[in-house]
Amino acid sequence: MPLKFGLTPVFLNNDIELLARLKSYLVRQTGRDVQLVQRRTYEEITGILLSGQITAAWICGYPLVQYRNQLSLVAVPLWEGEPLYSSYLVVPAHRTVTEIEDLKGDLHAFSDPNSNSGYLVTAALLAEKGLKPDSFFRDTIFTYGHRNVVRAVASGLAQSGSVDGYVWEVMASLEPDLTSRTKVIRKSELLGFPPVACLAGQAASAEVRLIRDALLAMQTDPDGQAVLSMLKLDGFAEETQSLYDPIAAKMQLVRSLAP
Amino acid sequence: MSMREWLSGLSQASRSFAVRVPVVVALMMMGISIIVTSRALSRLEEGQTRSLEQLSSAYLDGLSASIIPAVVREDVWEVFDTLDRSREQYEGLNVQWVTVTNGSGQTIASSLPTSFPPLEPMPAVTMAQFSSGTSLSVDESTSEARMMRPLVYQDQSIGQIYAVADISALVSERTQAFSELVITNTLLTILLVSIGALFVRWMLHPVGLLSRYFAQGREGTMTAIPTEIVEGQSREFHDLFVRYNALAVAVNERELLASELAEEEKLASVGRLASGMAHEINNPLGGMFNALDSLRRYGDREEVRSTSIRLLEQGLSGIRDLVRSTLTTYRADQRPRDLTPTDLDDLRLLVKPEARQRHLKLYWQIELSQAVPVPAVPVRDAILNLLLNACHSSPEGGTVSFRAGLHAARFFAEVSDTGEGLPPHIREYLERKGAGSAPIDRRSGLGLWIVKRHCDELGAQLRVLDAGTTGTRLRLEIPLRSDVEHAA
Repeated sequence: MPLKFGLTPVFLNNDIELLARLKSYLVRQTGRDVQLVQRRTYEEITGILLSGQITAAWICGYPLVQYRNQLSLVAVPLWEGEPLYSSYLVVPAHRTVTEIEDLKGDLHAFSDPNSNSGYLVTAALLAEKGLKPDSFFRDTIFTYGHRNVVRAVASGLAQSGSVDGYVWEVMASLEPDLTSRTKVIRKSELLGFPPVACLAGQAASAEVRLIRDALLAMQTDPDGQAVLSMLKLDGFAEETQSLYDPIAAKMQLVRSLAP
Repeated sequence: MSMREWLSGLSQASRSFAVRVPVVVALMMMGISIIVTSRALSRLEEGQTRSLEQLSSAYLDGLSASIIPAVVREDVWEVFDTLDRSREQYEGLNVQWVTVTNGSGQTIASSLPTSFPPLEPMPAVTMAQFSSGTSLSVDESTSEARMMRPLVYQDQSIGQIYAVADISALVSERTQAFSELVITNTLLTILLVSIGALFVRWMLHPVGLLSRYFAQGREGTMTAIPTEIVEGQSREFHDLFVRYNALAVAVNERELLASELAEEEKLASVGRLASGMAHEINNPLGGMFNALDSLRRYGDREEVRSTSIRLLEQGLSGIRDLVRSTLTTYRADQRPRDLTPTDLDDLRLLVKPEARQRHLKLYWQIELSQAVPVPAVPVRDAILNLLLNACHSSPEGGTVSFRAGLHAARFFAEVSDTGEGLPPHIREYLERKGAGSAPIDRRSGLGLWIVKRHCDELGAQLRVLDAGTTGTRLRLEIPLRSDVEHAA
């Protein structure tokens, strides 16, 4: 039975080389056959994780807190030495806006309805003012990819967007032409980085342990370092669920306004 | 060079084969160029249009297939993402923008979202530019191809794709092809015309050569074409040159014969003159000898002596006048001098014996009171020949009239007879320019040939005023020498 590891393009680009290297590393490190399972949305990948079809998946903090009782943390990526990142509000570079209030009436691009940085943070920010995205913005679109949010804003398709700060920064170094056509008008507070999670009942299983060990050993292994270098990450660490309490608080805030 | 001279030169050049053939080649090449160019461009345009149709059809087919699910959901991002990515897949089409609308004409997404914002109605002005019923329309003025494709899902129209492609590359390719064709054809035409011109020039070279030899012949003796030139010609021109050389020999022999005959005629004229003079001298001689005899016998008688001396004096005076006029006419060491009325009067004495022999009446009218600036010797010689001819042409007892004078700065001399008139070929010879060959079928023709040669030398004009069956009247007109020339 191969180890099945779930991924979404919401966070990762469909970089064939990266996937091949990640798979190769996991196979060698776990000593097992590994199957990388990709789905388009967080909802889909969370669904197959919850239904036990895969061993572990790289999801977002928001699904983790939504299914807090059913999911457990396997490992959390370290970016710039911390298991933290933030959400960015971006607009086309030529816009002169500075506050979220200025974005009223925009066509706003979110990345995924189950993304923390690509939806929840902005929805929570509006919720703090008693507003909802559907009414505050003229319309909203989901691009199912943080990179796509940047593309939508850079092209002028959307007048503003909510994007993963880590993704925007990595893009700024890899695709400066694209990010230079956008500008960040707000950075959120630091929040728990999108984690690798598994079913709570499987947290102590040998398969999960193999995956966790492989991820934690990445920063000390040359192949693992190559993968981390491509991801612009420093490594993986074990963290507690409490890292995601701020995200859970935002979820509660947003839910308090619904419907 | 004036415009008239230029046009005249052009007109003459246009009658030359060396010009005509290259011009015809040029015109033909231009015609062929125009046909070939328009055909090539038309084929290129057809090919481009077909290629554009195929490309646009493939583009719209591919786009519709991938976009329909997103259009059904009216998923702005999915539609945009598909449009955005399709640009890279169809680079050959150079799509400027593509917009997808829903069933109610509202934009779902466009590759130019700032111009066509999502979820807003597509501008009517833009929609009107797309002609309904055709999937592709080409606007050459803006170098744009407009494509339209309805999106149909489960037999329901769910939207429309509008796309504009930049076809300036195709137009530019056509323009470049046109320029290349024009340049190539022009160079080809110039090359062929030059080759044609050189070829015709080369072909016509022997004709020019022959023409030059003929022209030389017209001025004098005909020159034979050298053998090495004849041998170097193509078969046709070789034969022609050989025939020319034969002609040149024949004509030269004829000229020689004519000049010999003229000499004979001259001698005959001299003989006739001498005979006439002898007759003139002989006539009084009888009387003079009678007078001498009377003197010898009855010299002591006063009346006989005076009568005999008068008779002798008259006879000697007549002989003296005749000798003087002959000397004046035929003296070899004469210098050029102007014609005097006396010169013309002397002619009467010279013609008189001939006239008397044929019982002709001579009418003489000289309307000159002083010398006229025309050379005396050749003019007198020409008139004498005309008079002698007139005497010969007139029947026994006929009339020969002579009239001379000045008219419009020209000296004229008219000679008329009562003969049978001039035969047409003699008349044609007299009125033709230049002495040429003598009409040697009649002896009298040689006298006329001498007259014509004098006319050529003097720049004189000989006109036939009357050539009927009752007589001939000829008029010789000689321009007066200018004062400067006269003085010189």
